[in-house]
Amino acid sequence: MARFDEMSALLQRGKARDLATMVQEELAAGVPAKDILEQSLIIGMGIVGDKFKRNEVFVPEVLIAARAMNSALTILRPALADSGVEPIGTAVICTVKGDLHDIGKNLVKMMIEGTGINVIDLGVDCDKDKIVTAIKENNANVVCLSALLTTTMGYQKEVIDAIVEAGLRDQVKIMVGGAPVTEDFAKEIGADAYTPDAASAAETARAFFA
Amino acid sequence: MNHRERVKQILHYGKADRMPAVHFGYWDELLVEWAEQGHIPADLARGLWDGNEKDRELDKIIGWDFNWYTTTSGSIRLDPAFPRVVLEELPDGFLRVQNPEGLIERVRPGASSIPAEDDYQLKDREAFEKLYLPKMQWKEERINRAHFEKLKAEDSIRENPLGLHLGSVFGEIRNMLSVIGMSYLMCDDYDLLVDIVDTYAELQFKCAEESLKIYSGYDFAHYWEDICFTNGPLLSPMMFEELCAKHYKKRNELVRDYGIDVISLDCDGVTKALLPTWFENGVNTMFPIEIGTWGDQFAPARDTFGKGMLGVGGMDKTAFRKDKAAVDQELSRMAKLAKMGGFIPCPDHRIMPGSKFELVKYYAEEIKKIQL
Repeated sequence: MARFDEMSALLQRGKARDLATMVQEELAAGVPAKDILEQSLIIGMGIVGDKFKRNEVFVPEVLIAARAMNSALTILRPALADSGVEPIGTAVICTVKGDLHDIGKNLVKMMIEGTGINVIDLGVDCDKDKIVTAIKENNANVVCLSALLTTTMGYQKEVIDAIVEAGLRDQVKIMVGGAPVTEDFAKEIGADAYTPDAASAAETARAFFA
Repeated sequence: MNHRERVKQILHYGKADRMPAVHFGYWDELLVEWAEQGHIPADLARGLWDGNEKDRELDKIIGWDFNWYTTTSGSIRLDPAFPRVVLEELPDGFLRVQNPEGLIERVRPGASSIPAEDDYQLKDREAFEKLYLPKMQWKEERINRAHFEKLKAEDSIRENPLGLHLGSVFGEIRNMLSVIGMSYLMCDDYDLLVDIVDTYAELQFKCAEESLKIYSGYDFAHYWEDICFTNGPLLSPMMFEELCAKHYKKRNELVRDYGIDVISLDCDGVTKALLPTWFENGVNTMFPIEIGTWGDQFAPARDTFGKGMLGVGGMDKTAFRKDKAAVDQELSRMAKLAKMGGFIPCPDHRIMPGSKFELVKYYAEEIKKIQL
């Protein structure tokens, strides 16, 4: 019988090496890669995310769980590809122009990847043209824009305007976040969602692909 | 009554003739803006930092009394610091740079946002012992005796508050490790993390101890941490307590032995979850209480910890980018907090680009008039 709960527990505790070993053993025993991903890893990251939202775990626990997730995915990816399993969709993520903060953006990226979404990380200080190009090139359906500064949050609107101008607005859902960003601000600039933390961002992104 | 006396009275619930107009500096871009708009001389837009001559000159132009973050210390950090080395020029214009704490950052030349963490060198015990431990050693050269002797000689004529900077128990370690490195080390080698924190803390204690032997007439002691963000602390409060509490206690007992009983701590973000560790181990002054960006607040902390909890900060600096009504609203809110006693209003961080010179000047004048 597959050890889904044990793998989920290892992921939640950030035990990357132990998790990788167990994933290898399970694959060798014939457990489908898709089942390991969906019934163990994604569930484990979801639990970490819920605990993070409730302040039961903190940034370090999320980061080490994400590291464990990545170690498992490295092993799973070839098997997933062999069995024709595709990511549920593609999201583009970045910190907007003028802003070099990347801790929050990286957390969101890791949590979204943990839901089975392919994430294209454009890094920090990203201008609108680069974001529009990335949406086109990767056929992305979700865009996540981060800004930590009151001086840079306004650029999120410029990105949204550029996406509209490029005729891509109907193709993508736009999520915004960052310390000074609020629900009201998100509505004002025409974003589809504001999420206050990385776990909520992952849930929202996943819901867009449901 | 001079500003030292005013601060002492207010933070000890005594009688002061008026509220001092206190600030916490500016973004460099704002100073450039103000210089271009003709509000300040161009030479003040460069080379101004907390409490230096240019800062004091600008205080006179605006009407501030002083910058709270006017502190001094021995050489309490990595010594020698890592040299700043450009490791790589990236095609997109970014530079990969080794910073003074050994962290590898991605920086955009000319950009003022904090750099992005790219990599870190403090990955294991070997790196700690080889690269960092030698830079965390006590040596007499860390204390500039002449500097502290001068402070001692000028004590009776100094009118503005001066703080002894006690360093940082965890924030600077986080800076050396990066957030990712800190997180991985907690999981992979917790004992090493403890050793790093303890070693650095002992160095900073020793520096404080030796400097205090020469001069101890400070108006407050001060820490920098920046270990919180929007959702609270960057690590669990329980782990923070386990790693850091004893070091705060030891350093704070030392300064209290010298009669320094106002101990402020600069931490951005929502600090509520870490306040118990700080307060129970001797830190008693919240600063800068960032309400504008993060929603941090002083009044609930006073409710929780009582009159022993003091505050400097709490004024929503974003009002300076709006209008007079927004500043008036903050003045009114500051007046209510000031009435509680043990609280000195101050913009809740560096004043940002886009802030209107006339509104800052207006605030600096009006805050002096609030009823105590």
